[in-house]
Amino acid sequence: MRMANAAEDFSQFGISKEEKDKLVGELIRYMLFKTHQNSGCPIKREELTQLVTKNYHQRNLPTFVINEAKEKLSFVFGYEMRELQRTQPSSKARTQSSQQSVADSKSYILISQLPPNVYEKYVVDVNTAHLSGFTFVIISIVYLAGGKIPEENLWSQMRRMGLGETESSHPVLGNVKQAFELLVQQRYLQKDKVNGPEGNTVYYELAERALDGPMNDRIKEYISQIVQDNTSVGAA
Amino acid sequence: MSSALNWRHHVVIQSLLSRGPLSEKDLHAMFQDLTKRNPGTERQLFDSFILKINKALSCANFELRACIDQYDGQVYYGVVNTVSDEHSKLGTKYTVPQIAFYKAIIEAIVQDASANAAIFSIHALNLSLDSQVTIVTDSQSQGSQPNVPTALKNFSLSQKEKTLHELVRDQWLDLTTDGVIRLGLKSFLDLRSWFRNNDLPSCHVCNEAGIKAELCQNENCTVRIHHYCLKQLFLQRKVAEVCPSCGTSWPYTVPKAEAEQTEDDNEPRGSKQVIKSERKRRRANRVVDDEVGSNNQDELNESRESQHGNGLVQKRGRPRRSDDADIGGSDASQSLTAISDARRVTRSSARLS
Repeated sequence: MRMANAAEDFSQFGISKEEKDKLVGELIRYMLFKTHQNSGCPIKREELTQLVTKNYHQRNLPTFVINEAKEKLSFVFGYEMRELQRTQPSSKARTQSSQQSVADSKSYILISQLPPNVYEKYVVDVNTAHLSGFTFVIISIVYLAGGKIPEENLWSQMRRMGLGETESSHPVLGNVKQAFELLVQQRYLQKDKVNGPEGNTVYYELAERALDGPMNDRIKEYISQIVQDNTSVGAA
Repeated sequence: MSSALNWRHHVVIQSLLSRGPLSEKDLHAMFQDLTKRNPGTERQLFDSFILKINKALSCANFELRACIDQYDGQVYYGVVNTVSDEHSKLGTKYTVPQIAFYKAIIEAIVQDASANAAIFSIHALNLSLDSQVTIVTDSQSQGSQPNVPTALKNFSLSQKEKTLHELVRDQWLDLTTDGVIRLGLKSFLDLRSWFRNNDLPSCHVCNEAGIKAELCQNENCTVRIHHYCLKQLFLQRKVAEVCPSCGTSWPYTVPKAEAEQTEDDNEPRGSKQVIKSERKRRRANRVVDDEVGSNNQDELNESRESQHGNGLVQKRGRPRRSDDADIGGSDASQSLTAISDARRVTRSSARLS
């Protein structure tokens, strides 16, 4: 049934099943390679659209190819190709939201659909697991600050963990500032510069990756677990 | 869809993509853990499992394949890209000079006429990247970067050293504790077609590229055989220890480390489905290094017959496979070098007949 629908859908664009499969395969490869190259930074929908429109100009064809690639990535690799809506810093949200079209602010990331315990046992790469821990700690700090924190306050918290912004050879993270900047590129955090009476202040806010449902839920669980651990330690 | 993949297939695919190649032993353990079936006694079930994965992966030009680490004869599995297109060029964090450096190292390793498939770190760091200019310029022609050759020339020693460690970390190369660079698992997996397309001499027994192999002592004979294929040929088939081609005596001794391990089937049991890769690369000029040290020169100089075997005991520095630590990759007792060009001509002639 689904195959029949798919065939009908693509026949209206005047391309064969082989051409369609080739486009879908190319988009899958692009998602996988780009995700690896950019360490999981979201990939803009516009980039994916251009993969199709450089050779085909049928309207709505990119949407069908993207949806087909989503299904294939899930079916073959067990990855969810999750769509994110790019968020704006809070101080700019009102002025720019009307000007920026919705399509331009969509991006995609790949998330494993395996259960967490299976993922941790078989898939987690020990060479990069420390970055996940770093990510969760930083996001939790910003979360506890109400989703937005002045830059200086954030670095103050990080220094208490031995992570200085000038540290360039941390035994685990290497260049701490670079590891932190990667969180911005990966859209866990976003930077917001606000003009105030005392001059410019830089804030960090949670971005769409951190605000995404499952991630947000996991942050809450993680924080409550830390609080419980501290409570039990205090009691002992 | 009759060939639907379930979460168990996804675990294997994602594990290989995320963590890199797995030894056959580890993959079998994972398979048994996931399916509660023994891949040793139910081999057909395991093969069907892999085949189903490969049918699905082919839609995006990937393949789960097996390869043999030619230094220890162990079988490893990995997921590789089978088509070289503009998308796959995105799939790397390495810069253009880093890739050129990797290519220079690979060429130095595979062109070793004594088939030891190794070079010293110092030798690698002194490799010139000038021979890579053509390849790099061609691949970057669309990007119109006239400064690429300059970037290669400016690639510093410390940058090479940093790149070397990254390549080892990512398993493209392997670095022993005594500073010898060898091919990594990912190179064996990914470069299989490149080995064939560049007409590298192949093993007389299994017909795969004989990069790390033992050479026939007859200077006029071109036969080379992997160490694990020699073991299979002489010990398991109980044939006379002579060259299968010219009949010259072949002094074969069982390496001490290998004698202790259980004899098992060395033939890869990966998927039967082979997706032919269309990657072709032009062979660059040989890398000539005038700064080879005296020790290296005795080992690497192709025009000189070596009177001594490689005395180095190569210890494998792979923390993830500690169970392999006992298997030393000791070299053949004696190796014979011959002129690479002569061998190539002779082999080509042999193929015409």
